[in-house]
Amino acid sequence: MEVALYSLPFLLKGAVVTLWVSAIVASCSLLLGVLLGTLACYAPAPIRWAITLYCDTVRGIPVPVLILTVYYAVPLLLGFPINNYADAILALTVFTTAQVTEIARGAIQSIHFGQIEAGKAIGLGFWPRVLYVVFPQAIRRFLPPWVNNLTDVVKGSALISLVGIVELMLQIKQVAGRIYVPMPVYIAGTIIYFLINYSLSSASRKLEGRFAHIRE
Amino acid sequence: MTYHINYNFVWLYFDKFYWGLLLSLELAAISILIGAVGGLMLALVYVDGPRWARRLVAAYVEFIRNQPLLLLVYFVFYGVPTVGGFKYGPTVSFIITLSIYSAAYLVEIFRAGLDAVPKGQIDAGKAIGLTPRQRLLHVRLPTMFRVTLPALGNQFVSLFKDTSFAYVIAVPELTYAASWLGANKFRIFEGLSVAAPMYLVVCTIMFAILRRLERRYAVRR
Amino acid sequence: MMAATDNSAAIVRIRGLGKAFGSNRVLNGVDLDVARGEVVTIIGPSGSGKTTLLRCVNALEIYDEGSITLDGVEVGYLEAAGRRRRRKERELSAIRAETGMVFQMFFLFPHLTAAENVMLGLRKVRGKDKASARAIAERWLTRVGLADKFDSYPAQLSGGQQQRVGIARAVAMEPKVLLLDEITSALDPELVGEVLGVVRQLADDGMTMIVVTHEMAFAREVSDLVVFMDGGRIIVEGRPDEVLEKPSHERLKTFLSRLDSNRKRAS
Repeated sequence: MEVALYSLPFLLKGAVVTLWVSAIVASCSLLLGVLLGTLACYAPAPIRWAITLYCDTVRGIPVPVLILTVYYAVPLLLGFPINNYADAILALTVFTTAQVTEIARGAIQSIHFGQIEAGKAIGLGFWPRVLYVVFPQAIRRFLPPWVNNLTDVVKGSALISLVGIVELMLQIKQVAGRIYVPMPVYIAGTIIYFLINYSLSSASRKLEGRFAHIRE
Repeated sequence: MTYHINYNFVWLYFDKFYWGLLLSLELAAISILIGAVGGLMLALVYVDGPRWARRLVAAYVEFIRNQPLLLLVYFVFYGVPTVGGFKYGPTVSFIITLSIYSAAYLVEIFRAGLDAVPKGQIDAGKAIGLTPRQRLLHVRLPTMFRVTLPALGNQFVSLFKDTSFAYVIAVPELTYAASWLGANKFRIFEGLSVAAPMYLVVCTIMFAILRRLERRYAVRR
Repeated sequence: MMAATDNSAAIVRIRGLGKAFGSNRVLNGVDLDVARGEVVTIIGPSGSGKTTLLRCVNALEIYDEGSITLDGVEVGYLEAAGRRRRRKERELSAIRAETGMVFQMFFLFPHLTAAENVMLGLRKVRGKDKASARAIAERWLTRVGLADKFDSYPAQLSGGQQQRVGIARAVAMEPKVLLLDEITSALDPELVGEVLGVVRQLADDGMTMIVVTHEMAFAREVSDLVVFMDGGRIIVEGRPDEVLEKPSHERLKTFLSRLDSNRKRAS
């Protein structure tokens, strides 16, 4: 109806913010997560314990609490206020990186030990084994769950509305608050989120199909 | 803001945190129970039912799983009463929301578990003359529970953490205690720094219990 | 037991080998010489240490006592100024490049084609360029009978074909000794023959091999030396017809008869 149409420009503006925030968080957490996941498998014990501690802590705290804590802690630790967006993105990245680390670690560790032995048997050294035997196989185990994680990033981005970033969620709330009939606005919002996330999860399913020929 | 960190208010109002945690656990327990019952029924519909029913269940699951929980919380609390004429308080509203949300995630787990029951076992049940209901109760569900124990346990802990979202509609659970401290005494960081470890301790205990249960009951086919 | 053969012809020398996993002593003093071009088959009940022995030769396991030398080079340890220390990973890689191993479970690299599986070692360890590596890979794959499968992925190959790729991958590196770890145990019976045929050919061409197997017929036909292990030691050692046809030792007799009756019961 007209209400939904009225709300659309605002919602779409919010969706754009949601998308670029998600993109930044996804890329940063991808780089950091793969790095930490690799370290979690191969680095010396203290580093591995630290990473495990980090992941377990994040897994034991609700997302809103984590986001809010990082958001309020950062200016306190730095001693000066920082940009709203940067703080929120940082908070989301802290959360998401832990998830990506777990995915990466799982992918690497799932490679059968026999593969590593076969690599040893032809004389490959440690790093060549990691590069040419483990990683190529691990990528295929990593990608489908990671693309799935992207939907969690988009859903997580809704939380930064709680610290005042005007992305899709906050737009929905604000527009709905202005109008006597909030439902169409909410419904429109759910449809937009659905479209974004559903395309991501479809891509994930397609990816899983693509790698089927590498069944062992 | 909070230039000088001051925990006095936290200890002063600690009962909010304590009762808040208890409420979080209650919210989780009720919603998970409803969600599990609903999710199991939907999973059975999906696995045993006609194609149109399967499509409906799939649509429901797909839709809910692609929404941020935050949006669903607002949707049920602010949106639905305006069209349905319903009236409910924030706590009931949140329980409804989390139940619907839980069911959508649990359906997937139950469905995968039911599919994992070896066809041979079901055939054996048929061969000794068990009715479909008996096969369900005595063959399929027992195996399903043992297979899905890890995933189920993890999902339960996750749903417990999701009770944190209730604070946005002023349900007085644990996160709300911290947020209340922030809104009324300007000490949100102190509040969060107490709430976070409380969640962490509870979740760690839950994971430990889960691991013990897994060791005893989980199946490794 | 045979006396140690002429030293200069032995490419693998095992002396007093001992290894324990925790409190479990798996190898209890093993002495063995493998001459150039010789095929040695090791048989024995499970838990006798035969696989562990094999895996010590290419340092997939490091032995605790004794020594293994490959063409004069000690495999597990380095003597430096009177101190004996375990070899580091890089030194082990260099040694492993001189041995080849074929595994019971194949362990082909699933993300690479047959040719690429064979080429990986050639390119990354031997430093060959892509074209020469490809040529060598194609030559060996043809020799094992897979000329039409260069660009197939392991998932597209039968068990016997996969194992033949595994053999090609190992021999393409021109190893000094080829180690075969029960390479037909995981194969369907009708596929065993094609794999053993390849191994027979390699033996005829003079490849030095140490084979752990349950295939007694194969052991009889191809081996120069058959070794029976039990409880981490070599109990009997001798020519195939002596060891397998006219077993003298009690434990060996029991082992062989059990194998025989299992085979009869299964067929």
